[in-house]
Amino acid sequence: MLTVALPKGRLQRPALERFARAGITPEEDLASTRRLIVPAGASARFVILKDSDVPLYVERGTADLGVCGLDQVLESAADLLAPVDFGFGNCRLCLAAPRGSKVAEEAAQDGLAAARPSLGVELGRSLRVATKYPRLSARWFGQRGVPVDLVHLSGSVELAAVCGLTDAIVDLVETGRTLEENGLVIAAELLAVSARLVVNRAAYRLKVEELLPLLEALG
Amino acid sequence: MPADGQQPAAPLPGTQDLLFEAARRLRRCEAALCRVFEAAHYAEVIPPAIESADVFGPEAFRALDRGGRLIALRADFTAQVARIAATRLSGMSPLRLYYRGSVVRRIAPDSGPVYERLQAGCELVGAAGPEADAEILSLASAAMSALGLRSARISLGTMGYFAALVQAAGASERLARALSDAVDRKDLPMLRSLCEREVADGPARKAILMLAQPPRPQTQAAQLLAQAESLAPSEEARAALQRIGATLRLARGDLEIDLGEVRGLGYYTGIVFNLYAPGSPRPVGGGGRYDSLLGRFGDPRPAVGFSLDLDALAPLLET
Repeated sequence: MLTVALPKGRLQRPALERFARAGITPEEDLASTRRLIVPAGASARFVILKDSDVPLYVERGTADLGVCGLDQVLESAADLLAPVDFGFGNCRLCLAAPRGSKVAEEAAQDGLAAARPSLGVELGRSLRVATKYPRLSARWFGQRGVPVDLVHLSGSVELAAVCGLTDAIVDLVETGRTLEENGLVIAAELLAVSARLVVNRAAYRLKVEELLPLLEALG
Repeated sequence: MPADGQQPAAPLPGTQDLLFEAARRLRRCEAALCRVFEAAHYAEVIPPAIESADVFGPEAFRALDRGGRLIALRADFTAQVARIAATRLSGMSPLRLYYRGSVVRRIAPDSGPVYERLQAGCELVGAAGPEADAEILSLASAAMSALGLRSARISLGTMGYFAALVQAAGASERLARALSDAVDRKDLPMLRSLCEREVADGPARKAILMLAQPPRPQTQAAQLLAQAESLAPSEEARAALQRIGATLRLARGDLEIDLGEVRGLGYYTGIVFNLYAPGSPRPVGGGGRYDSLLGRFGDPRPAVGFSLDLDALAPLLET
């Protein structure tokens, strides 16, 4: 019996389609049911949770495998296997700043993948950045030698830069419309994100007979 | 007693009190393991809980003593046993030593909170051959059986092979780390993109891409090794594969071979393995060959060993 951690939200439908093609279909319509554990035949069941909680459930073995964005895999720093890139849920983790701001202009000169230690130096203090991804952000700025004051928010991250709480934000960008409507521009790209299959390390070894055919069908 | 505004006293995060049945179970687990180790003619050593900090890596919890000397809480038994073997027991080969006790480490080197784990393990010092590797693997497997964990599995790989591939590919230290990380996470998409961007096409690249394959049962090991050998880009790579083949022919236990098993302590040079048991979401133990560690203490001798995670194992025991 395999337990699959499935995220609520935009990744759920495409993920379910892939599992259905691999022969695993939930016995109830996930869009209408309020149950959090949904059986899927004799060989599997789905547990439904927030995408940022998927890595933890899988790392601790409560779920054998799960679906979540690469951003969540890396931000959680969970000790997981990530053998399959589903190729859906594509977006980018970006640094964005108000259009016309010094930070936006400077970053644009350096190109999207780069940032110099002097980024935001005319502020005379550390660059203030709001994000839901403190770990990924700290690492990215750290590797580039940019001193940064990270503000950890849980939603509406764009607002921080618009209202002046911070100089810039690090957040997921799918189409760029939210940024545009709020007067922000992309200054750098931190990570290309897509939906990944994550697998518990011990389950991968101990349930290999059940897992391998599924991994092949999903990949 | 909590004073005004103070929190009640509790164990630090990463540590715990074991009470009653949990304590009894842990001691029972430890005693069963010691019986197995003693029966295999391993002798116990009890190293101190604090050491000079240079015995351990950056994961150790460090402090300054009164003389300004950097000391550390024990972060790793193997390094301590290597120090003992290389100094007071220098020249006595082979040595069969076991230990039990707790290690204290930082979650990430040089940062994060510390945590404590209870361990027991064995080291075979002064034996270089595949027989020694097989003895350690068989002993680890016997330890699992003694605990009643009959479905436990050992996943066996070799550091030597990965090191040889990285060298043949001419990879920088940064690229080697990135490749190792992708192999360790079975992240074939990432491994492919790294190889396409940074490794020249050739046998080394083909061999590296094979590392993210799933593990194979022992019965298919010969086939996997032959396939890998046909791609081996260097003499070192071929030697590492032949060595693991020889070890597999000698070892007993439920083994599977995984050339992507590259996770282990930084000083491993030959075989490396992890143990998995149903009910534990993380490995319950692991080990490997470390032929250059004793040299750090002035007595270059080969050695191989393993340690078991008692905190992970004890809850799996039948009551």
